[in-house]
Order: sequence, then C-alpha cells, then structure tokens
Amino acid sequence: MISSEKIFSIFLIVFASTSLLIVVGIVISLVANSYPIFMRDGPSFIFKSVWNPVKEDYGILPALLGTLISSAIAISISMPLAISLAIFSAEIAPKSIRGFINSISDLMASLPSVIYGLWGLYVLAPILNQYIMTPLHQYLGFIPLFSTKPIPTNLFTAGILLAIMITPFSSSIIREAYSAVPYHLKEAAYSLGMTRWEVIRTLLGYIRSAILAGAFLALGRAMGETVAVAMVVGNTFTLPRSLFDMGYTISSLIANQFPNAEAYSYMVPALYGGALVLFTIGLVINLAGLYLIRRVVARS
Amino acid sequence: MTLNKRKIMDKIMLGIISALAIASAIPIFSIIINVYSEGARHITLNFLIDLPPPPIGGKGGGIGPALVGSLILISLTLLIGGSIGFFTGLYLSEFSHTRLARYTQMFLQIMVEFPTIIVGLFAYAILVAPLKRFNALAGAIALSIVIIPYVALNVREAYKSIPYTLKEAAFSLGVSAPIAYLRILLSAARRGILTALLIGMAKAAGETAPLLLTILGTTFTYFGGIDQPINAIPLLIYNFALSPYEKWHQVAWGATAVLLTIMLTIFVISRLMVREAKI
Repeated sequence: MISSEKIFSIFLIVFASTSLLIVVGIVISLVANSYPIFMRDGPSFIFKSVWNPVKEDYGILPALLGTLISSAIAISISMPLAISLAIFSAEIAPKSIRGFINSISDLMASLPSVIYGLWGLYVLAPILNQYIMTPLHQYLGFIPLFSTKPIPTNLFTAGILLAIMITPFSSSIIREAYSAVPYHLKEAAYSLGMTRWEVIRTLLGYIRSAILAGAFLALGRAMGETVAVAMVVGNTFTLPRSLFDMGYTISSLIANQFPNAEAYSYMVPALYGGALVLFTIGLVINLAGLYLIRRVVARS
Repeated sequence: MTLNKRKIMDKIMLGIISALAIASAIPIFSIIINVYSEGARHITLNFLIDLPPPPIGGKGGGIGPALVGSLILISLTLLIGGSIGFFTGLYLSEFSHTRLARYTQMFLQIMVEFPTIIVGLFAYAILVAPLKRFNALAGAIALSIVIIPYVALNVREAYKSIPYTLKEAAFSLGVSAPIAYLRILLSAARRGILTALLIGMAKAAGETAPLLLTILGTTFTYFGGIDQPINAIPLLIYNFALSPYEKWHQVAWGATAVLLTIMLTIFVISRLMVREAKI
C-alpha cells in the first residue's frame, strides 16, 4: 500500500513541476509560432525596417530600436533616483519615517501599469512636452538627439514614464543590500574620520554588484513593459531619428498589432518572432541580474 | 581636500541625494491626486453596475460589464493560479533539498521577470487559437501564470518562517503529512499565506497586457460563459483612454479611480497583516 505521505509528496511534485512545464511551453510556443517568418526571411526579419501587411513584408528593427532607446533613457534616469531613494531611506531619513518611505516605494512598485499609462498620457506627457522637450528642441535642436519637433507622446516620454515605474523596484534591491552591509564596516569607516557622504560612497562601492543587479533587473522590466508604453510611445512604425520621434517598442507593437494580425498570413508569426527576440534579450539580462544577486547573497 | 571642503562636499551630496529621493516619490502623489480629482466624481452605484455610455450622445453610463468581468477573472485566477502557487510554495519550503525544488525556484524567479505580454501570447496559442474565439478562460490562465511565481515564492517564505520546533511538534502528534501541513501548520503560517494570495490578487486585478490577447473585451455584455469574450477594468481603461471619445476618457478616469481604490485597499490590508504578524 502506498502511504498518504507518498501520495502527498507526489501531489506536491505535480504542482511544483507545473512552473517548469509553463516555462518550457512558453519557449516552445514562441519558437513554433515564429518559425514561419524566420524560415521565410531569416535574420533579415530582425534587421530591416518595414511593416507592410498588404505585401506580407515584416521587419522589426524600428520596434527593437524603440525598445532599446526607451529602456536606455529609463535606466539612465532611474539609477541615480533609485540609489538616492535607497540611501535616503536606509541612511539619511529620520528613523521614524523610514517605514513610511519604504511603504510609498513598495506601493509605487505594485501599482498597475495601466494606471501609470493613463497618468502618463494625460498628465506627464503634456508637462514633459511643455517644460522639457519643447525647450530642449528650441535651444539644443541642432543636436541630432533633440532634432524632431516634439509632440507629447514619443520615445522620450515613454522612457521617462518607464524610469518612474522601475525606480522603486531597483531601489528596493539596493536598499536591501545597503542595509545588509556588516555594521562593523560602517563603524570602521566612521572611525577613520570620514564624513557621512564619504561613508556612503565607500559602502556604495562595497555593494556595487547589488546596484548592478538592480540595474539589470530594472532594465529587463523596462524592456518588457507593455501597456504603459503603448499608451505614451506614439505607436508609429518608423526608424527613430531622435529621442522626440514617435515610435514603437516590441511589446507595444504586439499589443497594438495583434488584434488584427489574424487577417494576414505572416503577421502572427512576425509578432511571435518579435516576442522571441524580446524574450531572448530579456532572459540574458535577467539571468545576469539574478546571477549578481546570488553572488551578493552568497557573500553576506 | 581640507576638512572644510570635505564638510561642504558632505552637505552638498546629502542634499542632492535627499532631493533626488523626494523627487522620485512625487509621481505617486501626483497619480493619486489626479486619479481621484478626475475620477472620483464619476463613482456612483450606477457607475459600478451600468453599461458604458455610447461614444456619442446618451448620458451617464458605467463600468458594469468590466467590473463583473474583473471579479470573475480574479476568482478564476485565484482558484487556478492561487492553488498551483500555494502547493508549489509548500513543496519549495518542505523539499528544498531536492533538485526539482532548485530548478523550480530558478524557473519561478525567471517567470517573475517575464514580460507579461509574452504570457498573453502563450495563452493565445494554447487556448484562443484552437477555440478560434477570445475567451475568459484564456485570460484567467494567463493571469494565473502571471501570479504563480509571486504566490509560490511568498508561500514558501511563509512556511519557512514557521519555527522548526513547531513543525516537530505538529509531526509528533502522529498525524499524516497532509494534515500536518494543511491543517496545523497552515494556521501557523496563515498570515504569510494570506499575504501571498493578496499579492496574487493585486497582480490579477491590475494586469493588462495579457488580457489584450486573450479576453478581447466586450463593451455591452456582462458575462456569456467562460468560453466567451469578457471585459476587465484594466482593459477597459486601456481601450477607453486610447479611444477618440471624450466621454469614454471620463469613464476611463472613473474606472481608474475604482481600480486605484481596490489596489490601495489590498495594499493597506497586506501591510497591516505583515505588521501584526511580526508582533
């Protein structure tokens, strides 16, 4: 007779295996459904700029560039903010309000992206347009980055919105690592007569792999984010010439084009192909981030 | 550098850090203020149960179908994703030495970082394309996949946090493993487990991207069965906000105020539970 323990552990094993099956299933479905477009066009599908359903001709380069540009803007704006927020709540703020700050940060991280999207579209985009993008274009328009006359929804707006969304996320990773620095290190630093800023700078150096991990994981999030970006990026399929061009990202391209994709024979494979590219880039970045975090945990 | 210069540098850098930290929190306040100032005035009982208004002409209108759809989707998701996540978490906590547990743990961490639109594409491939119809079940499966890693990793923490002596005591009663884990130890870890489910619920309530590819979003019907299209609040916000009709923009703001209220409620409850659990 099989004991109830045995049955129970088999029961649990079935559930634990589900996640493995899901991940494998996702990879298989991406490969199987994008197979036709890669068979027909080969790698040129990734490196050409065309979206012509009538001629069944697809190349995702503008969306790929859009993903890279918007997430590059996001990560470069958000890292200084995330590091500051982490240090502020772990070191500078009065102890009585640290819990509140962390709550605010966690709330920001858990807010649905569609709320960010609506706010970004109706509140953030007009403000950015009026106070940042238009002046930049007027005075620095000779720099290619700012050469397009801006309208509220474009790659720059998407990048800023993404920066706002990922800041609390990487900040909490950095905060945890910062708080986990052994206390005697901090004491040693102060005992050398360092000022507070010098101690902070030293400790930041000590946790640099955690900061890098936060950056990688946040970058992964920024690249995969869909609806918030789709609401503010402009959804225009052209090769971006400046930060103020309307554009697409891979995920917003899928969100926007999928509803009518079934009408064409190669658009569904093309969108799955885009997803496969996004998945691969994201996986590499996230594995790098997880590896760095594991190294931090192993050390402390 | 002289001592004076270093002290000045110290002041400047601490000032910059504080300013940046405060700046990074401004958006959340702006979001809450804007959503409620634009959206709160729309929320009435009728707004919660009525059909959306026609784009042009007509008066009032509400988000009834989307609210019903969201409630159905959240329930299905908690049922499917919640239970898979729960038992996965229990396995990870109690059989953490096995190879399967190590791989599952790694795959869950990767799943947390998946772009959710890809989960939507997966659900489309296995449930929408074969049925040739957008349907509620595909949406619930997609949302389940999204919440499984959150629920599993938090349930794992909840079971891990039970003191070893308590686990030994439970098993020394001579009861079988299912009873020890699901009756005795469940109540010891209940706050952590409830928090895990609340986090999953918040994800299911707010997630939008996978729904674009699975449930389609009906506008004027409430519920026609789980094999039929259905609407959800986040999807309605997305569709109405991007529509050209001013009246639908207003409905989107109202729906956002409803969604934000749901999120804030879940957030506060889970905070209170964590705090009490620590005492």
